[in-house]
Amino acid sequence: MKIRYLVWLRRMCQALLLCFFLYLLVVSRLPQDIYLNYSLAFSTEQDLRLEQPVTFFFQLDPLVGLTSLLSGRVLIKGFLWGAGVLLATMLFGRIFCSFLCPMGTIQHAVGSAKPALKGSRMVRANRKTAGQRIKYFVLFVLLAGCLLGLNAAGWLDPIALLFRSVALAVLPASGAGLRSFFDALATSDIKILNTLSYAGEVLVAPVFGYTHQAYQTGWIIGIIFLVILFLNRIRPRFWCRTLCPLGALLGIFSRFSILKLEKYPEKCTNCNLCTRHCQGAASPQPGEQWETAECLTCFNCQNVCPEDALAFKFNWGFKPNRQPDIGKRALLGGLLAGISLPFLARLDGQVDKISDSRLIRPPGALPEKKFLELCQRCGLCMKVCPTNVINPTLAEAGMGGFWTPHLIMTQGYCEYTCTLCGSVCPTGAISDIGVKEKISQPIKIGSAYVDRGRCLPWSGNAPCIVCQEVCPTSPKAIYLKNDVTTDGAGKTLAVQLPYVNLQNCIGCGICENKCPVLGLPAIRTIAAGESRSLRNQILL
Amino acid sequence: MNFDKPITRRELLRQLLKASGCLALAGAATWSSGPARSALASAAPSGFMVEAVGESAGYDIRQLTRKTFEAAGGISNFISKGDIVVIKPNISWARRPEMAASTNPYVLQAVIELCQEAGAKKVRIADNTIHDARRCFALTGAGMVAKNTGADLVFPRSSLMRRMKLQGNRLDIWPVFVPLVEADKVINLPVAKHHSLSTLTLGMKNWIGAVGGRRNKLHQDIHLTIVDLAQFFNPTLTLIDAIRIMTRNGPSGGSTTDVAAKNTLLLSNDPVAADARAALFFGRKPERIGFIKLGQKWGLGTSDFGQLTQHKVVL
Repeated sequence: MKIRYLVWLRRMCQALLLCFFLYLLVVSRLPQDIYLNYSLAFSTEQDLRLEQPVTFFFQLDPLVGLTSLLSGRVLIKGFLWGAGVLLATMLFGRIFCSFLCPMGTIQHAVGSAKPALKGSRMVRANRKTAGQRIKYFVLFVLLAGCLLGLNAAGWLDPIALLFRSVALAVLPASGAGLRSFFDALATSDIKILNTLSYAGEVLVAPVFGYTHQAYQTGWIIGIIFLVILFLNRIRPRFWCRTLCPLGALLGIFSRFSILKLEKYPEKCTNCNLCTRHCQGAASPQPGEQWETAECLTCFNCQNVCPEDALAFKFNWGFKPNRQPDIGKRALLGGLLAGISLPFLARLDGQVDKISDSRLIRPPGALPEKKFLELCQRCGLCMKVCPTNVINPTLAEAGMGGFWTPHLIMTQGYCEYTCTLCGSVCPTGAISDIGVKEKISQPIKIGSAYVDRGRCLPWSGNAPCIVCQEVCPTSPKAIYLKNDVTTDGAGKTLAVQLPYVNLQNCIGCGICENKCPVLGLPAIRTIAAGESRSLRNQILL
Repeated sequence: MNFDKPITRRELLRQLLKASGCLALAGAATWSSGPARSALASAAPSGFMVEAVGESAGYDIRQLTRKTFEAAGGISNFISKGDIVVIKPNISWARRPEMAASTNPYVLQAVIELCQEAGAKKVRIADNTIHDARRCFALTGAGMVAKNTGADLVFPRSSLMRRMKLQGNRLDIWPVFVPLVEADKVINLPVAKHHSLSTLTLGMKNWIGAVGGRRNKLHQDIHLTIVDLAQFFNPTLTLIDAIRIMTRNGPSGGSTTDVAAKNTLLLSNDPVAADARAALFFGRKPERIGFIKLGQKWGLGTSDFGQLTQHKVVL
């Protein structure tokens, strides 16, 4: 194959896979036209599920599979895809980075669209630096941490990072922007603009939905993503070369790649074009030794070489390539840091001692220790949740649980018959339960309590039964007792006072969400009583 | 692909582009529905009530619905050619139909088909749900009904809530779900359920699902707000679905043990009478239910449903 075609093939793959990634991300929500066959609904339990394989990229990412295996000792669903990528890497090098990875494609596009550096400055930026060892350090920290029970890979895994950034920051922020634009149109006096506003809202609804999506710490996620994009101005594909733990893993696996860059120094005129276009800073220039582990196999160097001094060739002779430049410091430092991390993360006592009342995990979430071994913090459950109740944590789960999912009931609530979050969790940190299991066991995620000083009937302000009305269990966990009280003016007021029966309460939080006492509702949900924990119980 | 054809998008777009007037100011909307009501009043001057019971085993609910309208003189007495008809079911809870928390999908489907046969230009299903609308549409069966019949299932959203003057005794200005006021005819299609605050939720209570805003505040004076809303929305017809009723744990239920089969449909043009009759299914005295009492007091109808022309259908 002519090298020109190969480069175009790469670009096509990149574009397609990026589009596929974004498509799967966008459809990680209930579609507006979803329906169930109601004649069947009379006879069987049906769960609402997504049709698309929304976890595909997490299966394709070997780091997700490997870290889950090391820390949780489980093989995730579809792990063979990741194994296939590892195998392909052993044969052809880091083709995942150049052909498949959506994060890499975005870096590539941002770096090459309008390069900040020109000529010799670009050549210098593309020379290999010691900084590229950082990614190995990151990889060892994550892997060692995993072995000792803290799976923090999701903080820096490119697929999880990209999904989280787009789903929790880029998309909701653009949605908010669009909504304010449409709102401005709707309040205009010109009728055609009003019409456009309604039409626009309906048109973008399949992507952005009809409601404002909020994610706590979303701004941090967004800023980090912007910084990563900006770093491409300093060095092209800065993220992939310097920070990406998956790149490091694949670099190590490319040691025995049979696809090798052959160099013909006698033809080279030292024009530096190859280095100027090198994406991985892998020393492509003849005369230097090719850094297999750094090479993204983008084929740019061969493509731009005017003298044919470079050529990728299959070499079946079993000869290992140049070993990855990891460096002792990255190895030892990474291992030490990785060993310390899980124990440092437990210093705040969240796993062993304290149970933060705000740490309400999604229904079906594994016990906390097991959960932290598997959660990739990718944000898929948060994106898919129809009520927007699942949010990334800041401090609620302690340092080790940063960005793991928890429920904020003032933002949404857990719908009684919804089990969507578990059905999309790529690693099974939230187990894939059905409605039947959720209701009949029942799976409790916390419990509610009444704040009598704030409650309208308890404080003699007004009759109200909203919490009891919306309580979804049967029999209801919130019950009412008739009482007569006096209001502020001394008039008698017949009220029904809400009580919580902890035996029946599942902690879904709809009472807190619908309570008319805004801001700090008069009935609130805490994590205590969650069925996944033996320790965090209130009742005998 | 799913996002190619959401239920309401194409319909709504066509609607919008063809006649943006339908999204005109609230005043214009109430004005347009005003004459429609008076036309109905002349067609059926006195109140009537149809009680349809499915007694035979395995009767067809859709057939029962059709017979109900036939007994009232046929749907064309109420729906004219070219009408925009809006149906207000109760699909507020994401529950399967057998839980009786929502309007029976077969009844809903039959009513839509009847309206379409009567030549309605457009039939819309509108309810501002409590649970997530997508899940409500899917689980209650309304989504499939809309797909089967081609009716427009309106997705409730803040841009379709418009602050309007309700002229009520308790509620003055409140956000209203726009499709329900921009219609020629409105059919109220509630399910009969137990309710912890208002005792029962029947036809008049169903209008709480037709407004937006912080609805949880309405419970502080529930009977007055129900009647205020009922006089504002004043439907062409009320068809109470008592095929299955929820006898306790209302209004959300959640277990089939909360459900009783009554196999009955009640059709009336008197919203108070329909509610009063339906209260008997629960063994309740209509005159002891606040909103029925108030509805009668303010002339929305009569709780003494015996005064109405009675029709009986048995299938």
